[in-house]
Amino acid sequence: MEPKAIFDLLVEHLGEGSAEFREHDIEPWACVSAARIADAGTFLRDDPRLEFNQLMCLSGIDWDGLDENGKGKSTAILGYTGDGVPEDSDRIAEGDFGVAYHLYSHTQRHKFTLRVRVKRDVAAVPTVSGVWSTASWHEREAWDLVGIRFADHPDLRRMLLSEDWEGHPLRKDYRMPDQWSGVPLKGQPYSENPFTPDAPAADAPAGDDTPAEG
Amino acid sequence: MSPTTPNPPEGYDVSRENMLDFKVDDQLLEVVETDAKNFILTTVDEVFNWARLSSIWPVTFGLACCAIEMMATSATRYDIDRFGAGAFRATPRQADLMIVSGTVTAKMAKRLKLIYDQMPEPKWVIAMGSCAIGGGPYFKYGYHVVKGVDFIVPVDVYVPGCPPRPEVLLEGLMRLQDKIRGRKGKFRAPKWVTDYAKKIPYRK
Repeated sequence: MEPKAIFDLLVEHLGEGSAEFREHDIEPWACVSAARIADAGTFLRDDPRLEFNQLMCLSGIDWDGLDENGKGKSTAILGYTGDGVPEDSDRIAEGDFGVAYHLYSHTQRHKFTLRVRVKRDVAAVPTVSGVWSTASWHEREAWDLVGIRFADHPDLRRMLLSEDWEGHPLRKDYRMPDQWSGVPLKGQPYSENPFTPDAPAADAPAGDDTPAEG
Repeated sequence: MSPTTPNPPEGYDVSRENMLDFKVDDQLLEVVETDAKNFILTTVDEVFNWARLSSIWPVTFGLACCAIEMMATSATRYDIDRFGAGAFRATPRQADLMIVSGTVTAKMAKRLKLIYDQMPEPKWVIAMGSCAIGGGPYFKYGYHVVKGVDFIVPVDVYVPGCPPRPEVLLEGLMRLQDKIRGRKGKFRAPKWVTDYAKKIPYRK
């Protein structure tokens, strides 16, 4: 089934004006409101004409680097200006967050792309892990790297980075850390700054293994 | 004789001492000519260093794509066992050498340091590939990559490449052997080659 026909069925289910369709992009996609993404997903999966039984990919998007058409509006990323010069002050990102869902039907052999878009200060989307269970890990990864919180997710932990990592690295306003958990990521070589991962803090109290005097 | 080196000129004395790039008497050992000819004088350091450089056991430790080249180096075609470094030990407590072959991420850095600390002295480290040397392609935007393993452990030999060819790793191993032997880690051609090269007219 063609993407336009799929979109017409989706609008018929969600109601007129509840979704936006872009047919002439590289991949035709429909943008629905974040609150109805689980509803739309359930419809696309269960409707016998559609039967989207696989979520191929779920991607988190920081729209700060993209214009309205989804094209990159500048080469400035991660605290660097367009000329590759580091910015003096912390970069302030203002764009929205988005999530893209790439769907495929093994029975009907057609595919479709859903998108949602949320404000940056909200940064929360309802989970679709109840619709496609593979979305659970995808959403954990999107939370880990982009920082989009998925409401009602059963186990929203970090996927790749450590639990005590600060920030979400693929956000456009992310700043490179100089060290993580005592591990120097940049700085001085070992001869000048020996790395001891489990060294106690300077103000830590002495343990029982302190040799007794005398 | 290597096929790339020129043949010695006619009448040139290609004895063993001229083939070596150091004086046997001065640097390695001293052969005392006696009637019996059955004993050798040397120093403890020379013997120990010779033993260490002749059987460097690396720890089985691969981080990324450089480890594939390291495996190729230890396989039959390149055969790192020719240099006595083919016994990849499965425990750091039996190993002398850690070949840091690949990207050192922040999570892995702690484990790497732990493995290094578990190795007995004396121990050596080869930083293999661009990532282990200085972050490589992750230098600018790699938020999780340690920009060089020499922030974590002291490094003896840097082997550049992305990834290095097995020949380059073998070269790095030979430079490490030079370092253990107590000599400058720089390749010097045999004496008859340099003498021969000086006779070439266009060479000053």
